[in-house]
Amino acid sequence: MAGPSEQAATAGGGMGPLAAILAPERPRLLLAVALRVVASVASLVPFVAIYELARELVGGAPDNSRVWTVAGVAVGAVLVRFLFQDLAANVTHAVDMDIQLRLRRRMTEHLGAVPLGWFTDNNSGQVKKALQDDVEALHYAVAHAVLDLAGAIAAPIAALVYLVTVDWRLALLTLITLPVYAMFHRAKERTAGEHMGELGGAMGRINSAVVEFVQGIAVVKTFGQARRAHDTFAQAADDYMNTFGRVVRPILRLEAVSSAIVAPAVMLLVVAVEGAVFAGLGWVQPVDVLPFLLLGLGLTAPLGHLAYFVQNFMSAVAAAKSIHEVLDTPPLAAPEKPGLPDGHRVEFVDVAFSYDGENQVLDGVTATLEPGTVTAVVGPSGSGKSTLAKLLPRFYDVTGGSVRIGGVDVREVPADQLYRQVGFVLQDVQLLRASLLDNIRLGRPGATLDEVRAVARAAQIDARLTALPRGYDSVVGEDAHLSGGEAQRVSIARALLADTPVLVLDEATAYADPESEAAIQDALSELVAGRTVLVIAHRLSTIVDADQIVVLDGGRVVERGRHEELIAAEGRYHQMWRAYQSAVPGGTDETSARVLVPHGHGEVQ
Amino acid sequence: MIRQLLRVVGDDYRAPIHRFLTSVVCYAVLQGVTFVLLVPVLRPLLRGDVAGAWPWLGALAVATAATVVAYYVQSLQGFRVGLEAANQLYHRIGDHLATLPLGWFSGGRVGRMAKLASSGVREITGLFAHQLQPLLSGIVTPLTVVLAMFLFDWRLATAMLVAAPVLYLVHRWSVGMVARADQAMDEAVAEANDRIVEFARFQPTLRAFGRVGADHAALEEAMRTQDRVARRYARRMAPGKAVFTVAVQLAVAVAVVFGADLALGGAVDVAELIALLVLVVRFAEPIVEVGELGSVLRSTRASLERMDEVLSTPPLPEPAQPLQPKGSDIELADVRFSYEGAAGRPVLDGVSFRVPAGTMTALVGPSGSGKTTVTRLIARFWDVDSGSVRVGGVDVRELGSESLVAQLAMVFQDVYLFDATIAENIRVGRPAATDDEVREAARLAGVDEIVHRLPQGWDTRVGEGGAALSGGERQRVSLARAILKDAPIVLLDEATAALDPQNEAAVQQALGRMADRTMLVIAHRLQTVVAADQIVVLDSRGRVAEVGTHDELLARDGQYAAFWRERSRAGTWRLRGDRSPSPVGGGSVTPVA
Repeated sequence: MAGPSEQAATAGGGMGPLAAILAPERPRLLLAVALRVVASVASLVPFVAIYELARELVGGAPDNSRVWTVAGVAVGAVLVRFLFQDLAANVTHAVDMDIQLRLRRRMTEHLGAVPLGWFTDNNSGQVKKALQDDVEALHYAVAHAVLDLAGAIAAPIAALVYLVTVDWRLALLTLITLPVYAMFHRAKERTAGEHMGELGGAMGRINSAVVEFVQGIAVVKTFGQARRAHDTFAQAADDYMNTFGRVVRPILRLEAVSSAIVAPAVMLLVVAVEGAVFAGLGWVQPVDVLPFLLLGLGLTAPLGHLAYFVQNFMSAVAAAKSIHEVLDTPPLAAPEKPGLPDGHRVEFVDVAFSYDGENQVLDGVTATLEPGTVTAVVGPSGSGKSTLAKLLPRFYDVTGGSVRIGGVDVREVPADQLYRQVGFVLQDVQLLRASLLDNIRLGRPGATLDEVRAVARAAQIDARLTALPRGYDSVVGEDAHLSGGEAQRVSIARALLADTPVLVLDEATAYADPESEAAIQDALSELVAGRTVLVIAHRLSTIVDADQIVVLDGGRVVERGRHEELIAAEGRYHQMWRAYQSAVPGGTDETSARVLVPHGHGEVQ
Repeated sequence: MIRQLLRVVGDDYRAPIHRFLTSVVCYAVLQGVTFVLLVPVLRPLLRGDVAGAWPWLGALAVATAATVVAYYVQSLQGFRVGLEAANQLYHRIGDHLATLPLGWFSGGRVGRMAKLASSGVREITGLFAHQLQPLLSGIVTPLTVVLAMFLFDWRLATAMLVAAPVLYLVHRWSVGMVARADQAMDEAVAEANDRIVEFARFQPTLRAFGRVGADHAALEEAMRTQDRVARRYARRMAPGKAVFTVAVQLAVAVAVVFGADLALGGAVDVAELIALLVLVVRFAEPIVEVGELGSVLRSTRASLERMDEVLSTPPLPEPAQPLQPKGSDIELADVRFSYEGAAGRPVLDGVSFRVPAGTMTALVGPSGSGKTTVTRLIARFWDVDSGSVRVGGVDVRELGSESLVAQLAMVFQDVYLFDATIAENIRVGRPAATDDEVREAARLAGVDEIVHRLPQGWDTRVGEGGAALSGGERQRVSLARAILKDAPIVLLDEATAALDPQNEAAVQQALGRMADRTMLVIAHRLQTVVAADQIVVLDSRGRVAEVGTHDELLARDGQYAAFWRERSRAGTWRLRGDRSPSPVGGGSVTPVA
């Protein structure tokens, strides 16, 4: 309802990105505009035909063949218009398709090169928005708005030129209402501009009130306060109505007046009176008033469309800008002197890392993972353990020090080589909407069904997959609905088949349903055998056999060693172990298990 | 559509809408009359009788003035009605959502509802403010003109009247064609976009398995398909979009030809004919605008339909005279329940058990056995198909939802936090609580420990949906709410995800504080199960397999004993590498820093 004023807020970014997107298509867009201009001019011909007809008939003794020629031209012009308008739309749609395909390809190509750490939920949402809303906004601007504007401008200009040739004085006087319109329109824009912030605020408030109310109503109901939340929401709705009504009413008054000034009825009266005066004075023949009635009324029609076009154009500019923001994300630097790892020893050398350049998440972390051993990283939340694990597969690059595989800095290893070395199984299981067969052989597309089944068996999931209606050909999310634990086992099978010598496990059993936890554990045992493993685990009991435990706190290594050694040292790890044991006593230790007693002691740490 | 609009906006708002529609029709008729007055103006003028035109010009001026006033009035009215209708809709949505069963608010539905309540309401407002007027006047004005033409020449008027249904059919055909093409394109676009979003979200996995950039076949395929489909339909659709405009113009051209024929035959007065032709040609235009409104209306209509559907969802029945619960025990008696629209076997099939006041019952069973459904039926997310759920000896359907939720504190896995401070989020549990009580509840649930780590402490806003906190931290806030609420019955769905030791300890401690309540726990931790006064084991068909204490059930050696053995094995699992090479770091502990 706020119209152009609302849009103006988004327009600040300049036209650079939109111009860049459209530049290669300029010739075809110009062609389409030319076609559309021809169609617009043709659309005036039937009106002119009536005038010609009138001149022929009013004079008496009409020339039959000329009358029919005029009628024939009118019909022909309609056909020409149809043809050219259709052609123009075909051209712009083709241009739009090319732009869409090009943008999508560029976007995917680019996304394949940005740091993995960039793909947070937030940024994935931005990708989605760029693809859905922004490409759609561009579609409208390219495929429709350009032509609509061309038509809206060409038709009145052609009409005006024609009218000037009939009688230039009357032609000018037809436009007499325009200055008045412009005055009211400017006043309206000014008022709207003054209140833009207020309007934006009112719309923002009601939108967040709606979202909050709808999202939160279930929670609020469970606490018996539906009425209160409801009152707050109703209050927000009333506020919106009052603010919006108060602010917009004067703007709307001006708008109603300004559009009334150029309404067809007013134009009709103006032209009819002027025509009668001119004819009365003998300045024009009465019949010459006709083209002004026929065409003059349409002169002001594009004024309404213009605001509409501006609005679309502004959205397209904003859309192009946000598409470019995605495309402007800096990609991972390609290695300057590519190197190939020699062996699979993993070394973290004096590693420092910061997400924002201010807070050090990791600071001087040094650790070596010998080939074929399990290294566990433990520490309280916020100690940097997940971040450390993410540096190895290059979700992010270190801000100081280096991470090496087989003696080579991971930044020097070409991406395809790196991922042949490093595999990972994350908390968040990622199965593609593809067949289970293709999901498992993602890393080795050439693998046979037998090979895939072998790893699935090792991952304790073969029986479940075989039992699906279409077996391994079932598509995830369509006819294969797997539980969290089952999906995790599929991802373990995938990692088994990819067979990377180095493996990162980030809390791989976290979201498993308890029923399938044992099966996942068996699958993991199968997976880690013989590999160099870096594991992040909350359940300390699962890592007591690790070859090395690295204890992080505040981004620094505070202890390292084997479980027994760390327990004996009675340091930080020992504390964590005791806290863990009191919260999660050994499953078979029944007597100490009664945690849920009234007024528990609470001195867990 | 108008009828649906009236139903959605509500009966008590009928009158203003009717008034607005009447104004629009008045405006459209006046505009038509103004146009028609052109004929008596032109008739003398074309004959060269300028003086004879002046009285009619006067009439034209009066009609024009009336039209402008009517335009102004309906325009402001449309704005006011739109705004009031939006307000009316917000209130109706608010009222109605407050009465819907909790079970209605599933994840996807809440998201769609939020969209409907924001952009859907805006669309309906826009209907009043921008769309109804051109739509109605685009039909009423030409109709007025055509009817008035009978006063002058019945042949031309009849021709126009015949053209109307033809134009309508052409319009229907073109809208249908465009809609079909749009739908096919939308589907292809949705598929391509889904693939790209998948590509972005799963980038770590894709890259780890060597699918870098354009190497991802499914994505390339989706993009190519989308491009192909879009091109095919764009070609098909372009004529569909132009055809209505052209049909209108063709009708005009036919009128010219027809008029020429009449005039040459000397059957009509030339001046009158010309005046009528001008009329015909001018009125083509508003009809074209009606055609262009079609696509906008389609999306508004879809919003209206969804809104209608939501507003006609039956509310949760409330008892005429709510009873008060006597005590805080829970009893399920032969409960059967299946989800709406889910064919096949019921989720719960004859479940009976009792949770005595002040004791703890653990619910265990495989996923899909209906554990969550049991807790939700107690909280009356839905009503049972048969059997009954009693709280304090009274059927929950007789309690009334307010007094039922007053008995319950729920700690479920999906915790929604408002975009407000942590303190405000905890206070949701009991808005009347003092600051000290809120702090105390926070301390008991270990939330104070989270607060110390946050940049602005207690005043940190936690973001919509609680995005700024981890899952374990959110559950602690939810526990604090439950502690603050201090209800006699606690329904708890233990987190399946492993919490880190700090979170784990905090949660356990908080639960310990509530152990004198009646508790029903969906238990994932062995120690919770062992600690229960009673264990209810559900089987995969939604029936109670066993009930008893831990020792009794182990002795029975049934489903529970098997579950216990499997879980115990999982509890002692250790990750072990290949230890054939000599162990690393065999030296002493090396403290750093």
